[in-house]
Amino acid sequence: MKTVISSWLLFRLLFQPTAVFEELSETRPEPHSVFLKFVVWLAIIPPVFAYIGASNFGWRLGAAEPLFMPSGDLILVSIIYFFALLFAFVSTAVVAQWMATTYGARHSLGIHFALVTIIAAPLVVGSAIHLFPHVFLNIVVLIPALMWSMYLLYRGLPIVLKISPERGMLMASALIGYLLVAAVSFLGLTVALWGQGIGPSIGI
Amino acid sequence: MNGVGLHKKLEENAGLLIFGILFVSTIGGLVQVLPSLFQESLKTPTGTTRPYSAVELAGRDIYIREGCSVCHSQQIRPLLAEVKRYGPYSRAGESVYDRPFLWGSKRTGPDLHRVGGKYSDIWHRLHLINPRDVVPNSIMPAYPWLAERDANAGNDIHLKMIALRKLGHPYSDEQIEAAPAALEGLTDIDALIGYLQILGTWTKPEDTP
Amino acid sequence: MVSGTVEGERYFDRVVTALVMFSVIWAVLGMTVGVYIAAELIWPTLDFGLPWLSFGRLRPLHTNAVIFGFGVSALMGTAFYSVQRTSHVPLYAPRLAWFCCYAWQFTLLLGGLSLLAGWNTSKEYAELEWPFDIAITVIWVCFAIVFFGTIARRRIKPIYVSNWFYGGMIIVIAMIHIVNSLAIPVTISKSYSLFAGAQDAIVQWWYGHNAVGFLLTGGFLGMMYYFLPKQADRPIWSYRLSIVAFWAFTYSYIWAGPHHLHYSSIPDWVQSLAVAMSLILLAPSWATMINGIMTVSGASQKLRTDPALKFIVLSLAFYGLATFEGPMLAIKSVNVISHYTDWTIGHVHSGALGWNALITFGTFYFLVPRLVGTVLYSVRLANIHFWMALAGTMLYILAMWGAGVSQGLLWLSLDEIGELSFSFKDIMASMPPYYALRFVAGLVFLLGAVLMTYNLYMTIRGRRTIHVRPPAVTSHQV
Repeated sequence: MKTVISSWLLFRLLFQPTAVFEELSETRPEPHSVFLKFVVWLAIIPPVFAYIGASNFGWRLGAAEPLFMPSGDLILVSIIYFFALLFAFVSTAVVAQWMATTYGARHSLGIHFALVTIIAAPLVVGSAIHLFPHVFLNIVVLIPALMWSMYLLYRGLPIVLKISPERGMLMASALIGYLLVAAVSFLGLTVALWGQGIGPSIGI
Repeated sequence: MNGVGLHKKLEENAGLLIFGILFVSTIGGLVQVLPSLFQESLKTPTGTTRPYSAVELAGRDIYIREGCSVCHSQQIRPLLAEVKRYGPYSRAGESVYDRPFLWGSKRTGPDLHRVGGKYSDIWHRLHLINPRDVVPNSIMPAYPWLAERDANAGNDIHLKMIALRKLGHPYSDEQIEAAPAALEGLTDIDALIGYLQILGTWTKPEDTP
Repeated sequence: MVSGTVEGERYFDRVVTALVMFSVIWAVLGMTVGVYIAAELIWPTLDFGLPWLSFGRLRPLHTNAVIFGFGVSALMGTAFYSVQRTSHVPLYAPRLAWFCCYAWQFTLLLGGLSLLAGWNTSKEYAELEWPFDIAITVIWVCFAIVFFGTIARRRIKPIYVSNWFYGGMIIVIAMIHIVNSLAIPVTISKSYSLFAGAQDAIVQWWYGHNAVGFLLTGGFLGMMYYFLPKQADRPIWSYRLSIVAFWAFTYSYIWAGPHHLHYSSIPDWVQSLAVAMSLILLAPSWATMINGIMTVSGASQKLRTDPALKFIVLSLAFYGLATFEGPMLAIKSVNVISHYTDWTIGHVHSGALGWNALITFGTFYFLVPRLVGTVLYSVRLANIHFWMALAGTMLYILAMWGAGVSQGLLWLSLDEIGELSFSFKDIMASMPPYYALRFVAGLVFLLGAVLMTYNLYMTIRGRRTIHVRPPAVTSHQV
């Protein structure tokens, strides 16, 4: 079995997702190689786009004037964004590996890393829209990207982890549950920090 | 007898199970809700808080009828930004004559607890008839029918005050007798504006620490 | 004839079929109203200046139609279905069950019209005026008589866990409905609450929170505890866990209501107690979720033939989200941002769409073919519905997270000199993208429900009459 996966795989994902998943199922990637070769870079792309967009144009939240952040804050926010994405990648892979026992799926951490990476690819590509920091535009682009990612999750998980589509269905739903809880925890943590005086200045 | 053994008894006897559920679910209410019903400070009026006049009461019931509280809260939290935006924070003693309370749970529109006196009557009239005439981007519904309906169309204002007196609102006989006359010639919109204009005005800044 | 079975005795399922059909009708109606008012928040003139199309009147209609029309009809129907099968006896007082069914629909129909007419107590989820409150109480008592009457006549000794939850719902909802509705009537359409101001607020949210707790959580957990093991064809994963979770849930939920009133003028100790109990509540909520997930995790082969199980499995994921988000939003430092914003609306819908609606859809896909003795008209349509429901729920939640967090942040934002950074108008004007996304999400979810309605209708059209008899063997399984 191959222990490395090529970047070419990510591009082919656009046209032949099933073939990519089947190919992936025949590999046994090393966790550190996937991490260094893909995860880190994919996690860097959205913050960089966000930084460029926000520093040049400012966020447009609607009718109000574009919102410019001081560049120091902007760098900080971008770095936090990067680490949040990194955490999302790693924790999802780890949780998926933990769930694998219950659903009788492949157990190597490397393959879970690879799976998460591939599933997140549409969202990372879609994040190019951060270059134009307008809320509506970002919604219009990122929502279809998210739907695509979810499709890849349900489609790819059983193939890559070599379980029946039915079990894959169960495991994918459980992963969605984890992702939702993680997302809302992140939101909760963020607003709780605002309340403690970290981040934007709010009057409470 | 261990826990599961004990539970065997409960789940084999419908009466015990019902009693168990009732017992366990009542504790919270008894310890937490019941004492607050006897807490005097929650029933004592603050500042010049008084029962609503006939016009204000009619207006308040229109506010309820149209579901204004679905989008407008009437409860200013003791937060710096909130006090800056809306005025002094709300006290329990200001809503002792509110049956039901109208604190709301959602601010699709702004809080209204201290809206009294902030805008003119004519502004309110224009705004209620078509909000977009005065606030271009507003998403509030228009209420043209309020200007057409008699404020005492149900001829029930005195009945309402009698009912409230039974609940402890100190209305005098004269106030109740004069109530229908006070609404004479007024439409719903007049009554509603009458209510909005006294909202939150019974507590003066000097009353608030 | 084996002892214990009476000749000619059979389960009484026709009332179940009727309740399921009414529930589906309410679902489509209630969700349509929901989508309509979502549109009104983008295009405010959609009410055409008509009082009964006004947002303030349609919104209570939406909540009442989905909670009490869709939700309670489904709960009543599934309770009647499962209590017979877990007690091994036909329904007690079937005529009374029919009365519950039709009286409930009739009350809600008139009640819905009264909401459009502006009869409104303005207490959330208890908007119906006093004549309806009385009718609801009477019907609820009849529901209790049928349900507990059936249990009392059961031929199997232990009372199954689904019945604890259904029973808990019946008892607690009766208690909180009666107390919260206490009022002095003035006219047929108007009453004044027995409680005033801060005290009324505490009573109302004791009601409001536990209506969510014991109806939308507990009642539907009863549904889960019967239909999930049934569909997965396996016993519940841990019996012991279900006991602990049930009692912990019933005890702790009641206390959490005042977290809806953080930073308001109710006493601080009431708020703090509510925070503590809300956090504790996470344990029994998630214990139940784990019990469900583990029950189903070994039963995947069933999924191939049964789209119903998919819905139930996904509903558990959203249940996990909602029961985590709830305690989190109850923490004061999070609540200070989230309160009064659309985040709350998103939270409600992650429970209402993701949990309540999905598990009910799944249950209906399982139940209807069995009730009419045939197979589901189209598994394919059910699968399409699944994707629409998933997409609709996700988009809805994301839209409201976006809207809610921006509202919460921007409302409280101060600039360098300590003045408010944004006017309310400007913040409101930034909402249309989120509201548009929410509208689309709701529409997708509604269309999915319409698809289900068609699918179930075609299934019922192909029906044949069937009668299911109680099992002959009545030995006590201990």
